Amino acid sequence: MKSRAVLLFTLLLVAATTSTATAYLKLGSRVGTRTITLKWSRMPIRYFVADRGAPSVTAQQMQQTVTRAFSTWNAVSTAVTSSEFAGFTTATPRGGDNATVIGFQSRPELDRTLGATSFLVDTTTGDILESDIFFNTAFPWSVASGGEPNRFDLESIALHEIGHLHGLAHSAIGETELRAGGRRVIAAESVMFPIAFSPANIQFRTLRADDIAGISDLYPAASFTRQTGSVSGTVTKNGAGVLGAHVVAFHLRTGKIVGGFSLSADGSFVIAGLEPGPHILRVEPLDDADIESFLDLTLGVDVDFRVKFHERLVAVPSGGGARRIDIKVLPKGG
Amino acid sequence: MRLIIAVVGSLLLAPALRATVLVPAEFGEIVSGSQIIVYGRVADVHAEWSDDRRQIDTIVTLEAATYLKGGPGEAVTFRVPGGQIGRYKNVLVGAPEFHTGEEAVLFLKAQGPTVAHVFGLNQGVFRVRMDAHTGSRLVVPPVLMAAGDGAETVIRGAPGRVPLPLDTFAATVRRAMGQARGAR
Repeated sequence: MKSRAVLLFTLLLVAATTSTATAYLKLGSRVGTRTITLKWSRMPIRYFVADRGAPSVTAQQMQQTVTRAFSTWNAVSTAVTSSEFAGFTTATPRGGDNATVIGFQSRPELDRTLGATSFLVDTTTGDILESDIFFNTAFPWSVASGGEPNRFDLESIALHEIGHLHGLAHSAIGETELRAGGRRVIAAESVMFPIAFSPANIQFRTLRADDIAGISDLYPAASFTRQTGSVSGTVTKNGAGVLGAHVVAFHLRTGKIVGGFSLSADGSFVIAGLEPGPHILRVEPLDDADIESFLDLTLGVDVDFRVKFHERLVAVPSGGGARRIDIKVLPKGG
Repeated sequence: MRLIIAVVGSLLLAPALRATVLVPAEFGEIVSGSQIIVYGRVADVHAEWSDDRRQIDTIVTLEAATYLKGGPGEAVTFRVPGGQIGRYKNVLVGAPEFHTGEEAVLFLKAQGPTVAHVFGLNQGVFRVRMDAHTGSRLVVPPVLMAAGDGAETVIRGAPGRVPLPLDTFAATVRRAMGQARGAR
């Protein structure tokens, strides 16, 4: 994994302009002028599995696959999460029953969507009342241990959706290529990358550094704050803050990539969960992606600036924050 | 302590975010796969329970200024998953949200008698915003369109990939429609 991460980042360094970056985000939902963070206040997360399978995947296989995916998240040592299979249900993953249901469903109106996670939230308290995950029966699925040609790997997509169910949004650690037939993932270093690998690919069954940092940031174990550090700062252009910039932290020795976004109008960012040591920082625009997969475009996300590397290595301490970093970017036409 | 402050701070800053796993389309596919392509202003947004009262959907009405494809009338109505009724909010992560007064170019799928929906959940949403300096209308996100049949790596930060003026965006849509016709 390290070699792939190093290759990925080397590609970024070689190209003055690049497409790959990292970042974990937390899910939130706007209610009026405020934002509710979607996060479970109690563990374990109790979930049901719909008792209907799909062609080539039985309900039992779905349950085993989902349980493995939950276990992968629960095994992160710097996070405190747990889950409990509550049984099979005749309910569908549609909501309105105060139960978290995971299963297959036909949703023809959600074309090009392999799977998705939904929440029902009490906006007065911010409590998650339930969360459901559906997998679209319009696509061919596989639970084969080594993957199957022309079928999407259920465990990989389940791992991604269960990341959402925990409250993680998308990461942008990935690189794609474009052709007349669509876009395809070339490389990715986060399970939370929003674009699926091609059918038969099982690479997304394993969490990456960015995923681990994200889940640990949401549900931190005591070790998380002791063992990791953070970096914070601002991204500005022409003296004004840049909203929606990707800030990427690449560990020089381990090759681990973790990142964040500038999420406010003043361009401030915070990346937590970094392994202590020297990091390269890079800022880039989200101009290659469907921005709505990451951020609320109505907030005024800025994509008109050039990629910028911070001039110095950033030393991230254990259990603390690096000195504040201010990065100035230039407009593409400037 | 600084780390804790940083973590808490990042939680407080969390904006409305999106998430799902998509099979992404190239721009030409979005154009050819949509029955309606329309630029307009959101006139009404209201949420309603589904017939079985299991989920909340939002019905959006767009006052059409220009149809680039199709054209059901002065206004077009479409459905997006999720919405809020009273204290309850249903969030399908990945689904776009709309607010009255916003302008957008929308790529909609409309088949049979059902209410139209956005192509590819959110891939058919291109927001229109005013450029603060020039006052002209810009379309975001930038277009990702294949130049030819061969594969090309998508380069983040590419100089030419910037929000397009509305007229240029419309011309790009028309060009893609022409290419699709030529390919048949």
